[in-house]
Amino acid sequence: MFKIPKGKEVPLGCVTPAPVGEQPMMITGNWREFRPLLEPEKCDLCMNCIVFCPDACFQLDDAEEKVVLNEKYCKGCNICINECAPGALTAAYELDFDDGVVRLDKPF
Amino acid sequence: MAKEMMLSGCASSAQAAKMAKVEVISSYPIRPYTAIMMELSKMVANGELDAEFVHGEGEHGQLSIVLGAAAAGARALTGSSGVGVTYAFENYSPIAGGRIPLQMMIADRALDPPGDFGSEHTDAMSCRDQGWLMGWAETPQEAFDNCLINYRVGEDHRVLLPQFVCQDGYFVSHIPGPVSLPEQSQVDEFLPPYNLPHPLDPKRPVSHGPQIRPDQGTIMDIQRAQAMLDAPAVIREAIDDYNRIFGRKYAPFVEEYMTDDAEIAFFLMGAHTMTARHAVRHLRAKGVKIGLVKLRFVRPWPTEEVAQALSKFKAVGVVETSTSYGGAMRGGNLLHEVRASLYELPQRPLTTSFMAGLGGEMVSLEDFYHMTEVLSKAVREGKTKKTVYWVGFEAED
Amino acid sequence: MASKVHQVTVWARGVVQDKEGRDIANGLARAAGQEGKFTQSFDNYVDLPDRVNVPLRKYARISDEEIEERYEYENLHPEVVIVADATIVKGIDVLRGMEKGGTLVVATDRRPEDILKFIPNRDLLGKIVCVDAKAICGDRTVDFSGSEGGVDSVGIGQGISAPILGALARGSELVKLDHLDAVVKNKDALHKGHEQAVVKTLN
Repeated sequence: MFKIPKGKEVPLGCVTPAPVGEQPMMITGNWREFRPLLEPEKCDLCMNCIVFCPDACFQLDDAEEKVVLNEKYCKGCNICINECAPGALTAAYELDFDDGVVRLDKPF
Repeated sequence: MAKEMMLSGCASSAQAAKMAKVEVISSYPIRPYTAIMMELSKMVANGELDAEFVHGEGEHGQLSIVLGAAAAGARALTGSSGVGVTYAFENYSPIAGGRIPLQMMIADRALDPPGDFGSEHTDAMSCRDQGWLMGWAETPQEAFDNCLINYRVGEDHRVLLPQFVCQDGYFVSHIPGPVSLPEQSQVDEFLPPYNLPHPLDPKRPVSHGPQIRPDQGTIMDIQRAQAMLDAPAVIREAIDDYNRIFGRKYAPFVEEYMTDDAEIAFFLMGAHTMTARHAVRHLRAKGVKIGLVKLRFVRPWPTEEVAQALSKFKAVGVVETSTSYGGAMRGGNLLHEVRASLYELPQRPLTTSFMAGLGGEMVSLEDFYHMTEVLSKAVREGKTKKTVYWVGFEAED
Repeated sequence: MASKVHQVTVWARGVVQDKEGRDIANGLARAAGQEGKFTQSFDNYVDLPDRVNVPLRKYARISDEEIEERYEYENLHPEVVIVADATIVKGIDVLRGMEKGGTLVVATDRRPEDILKFIPNRDLLGKIVCVDAKAICGDRTVDFSGSEGGVDSVGIGQGISAPILGALARGSELVKLDHLDAVVKNKDALHKGHEQAVVKTLN
């Protein structure tokens, strides 16, 4: 008789639930050194940030008519800043903010 | 003078291949053996090693490339890990059957499912019956030495067999340890130039690997079986010469540690032997009569040496680092062969196996202490309760 | 039964700091080896292969006696943690496994207090050392010759690893500046790191 210690269980065939919306097993916000900072008055909702973000971290808030960044997954690649047509995004050093903390036990 | 360096098993293996003056190298990347090829490609690029470096389109291609090269008369080297080893499987029998003594370095890795790059012996052990020499290294130093020893034995005309030179992935392949690099003159004294008796040569045209008739099949098998029977004497000679030239103290097949007056012993191979040694030393200090027997060659399996080494104990724990699902012992591969080796003895020790170090799990001092308790209990009760213990996963011991 | 093994864990950014992070661990182990210590240094196997900016770990281990359990994956109980890029403290529990009284070395242009506010388990720390490594030597060397168990063909400590190692020698007894001086290439940056390090003793 085998006894698998608690916390070490693996599902049959290692079949795991598929992520819906977000992948909680692969949080990548802790890769970030510089975050894209939005100046709302400059944003013309061109949607380039939404289109170009490789991790789909920008989403459009329809009700408020603004783009919102998901800091939990933003890797800080800053592609959005490069693509932002009206220049509404700038790179800001992460230690200047108290929020955006994604404190994991392990790297991923 | 020998040069002392801190090298990983990958780096030391590449140094050994360089000193063996390999002429054709074929690579394909997979962890953890990758750095063997990283190092060799640097040497070729820097002009330190005069070899052809051919990148395969996969492991099957890799083995085909070195087969052609070695058949044409070049000392050839390749290597892989995990599923790379199994992807090339089709080529193993033709290479051994064609009696082409090339070398494949394996830094072992757990096979899928679904993906784990830790060490486990199952990848290479799955290929053990193809007619290749096979053995594991405990340290980067031993990985270095085994490369040279295996080329010498495999290329000997009494043997002519390819060689799987294995090391535990990550543990040996990635963690640097002290390595003494010899002089080139010492290596040249030990290892004569590659000399295949039946090379592909335009001056004396021959065909390799023709279609054979069914009535030739058994004879081909007998040739390979005979080579394996003849290999042990050649291994003994090679080890004697190696120890003399390089100042080492290797036993050809089984190494014993603190086995004098021991009642119980571990039997294992590869990286975890190092931790087991320390466990044995600490247990001895506490008065436990325990020793350790380390296996250096899985193929050819040293039947008499294993029987002789283990016959003096009351109980032996075989530490398995590979799987044999549904096998006679319900666990790993080594206990099958250990029990077969002991069968003819009038007095056999109790034997059981411990499944440990699978999927890259570490085997700690504590694990070895636990196994010792199981073995001591078996001696007290005069029997083993089970043929296999999955260390850390048994409902009861 | 086994002798005490001093564990040092280095946190660095994937790819861009892979080499410098490894240099810190290798440089420390090699320097400690010069005073007759038994040492080990290795990359975290599971963190690799890395991707740009992913947090990854490099380890050094130092002992007065032979290290018995050499074949391990992690430093489970680091007494010194080195963070080569300060923003990592927001993304990882860098002190995980540390016993009370440990040391944290951070490469940053900020003050120790600014870093400590991002560390919820700061009570574990006996000391924090901050050094502005980027300002001292400006660069980080990107080279992969030493990864995956390969042999480094560039040399230890040309970039930010040099001042970080200097700062480590200021804040920890594990290694001496003289021994680091013998193994680190950018000696000027090593010594500047040692001089300019800001050490704050806590608890």
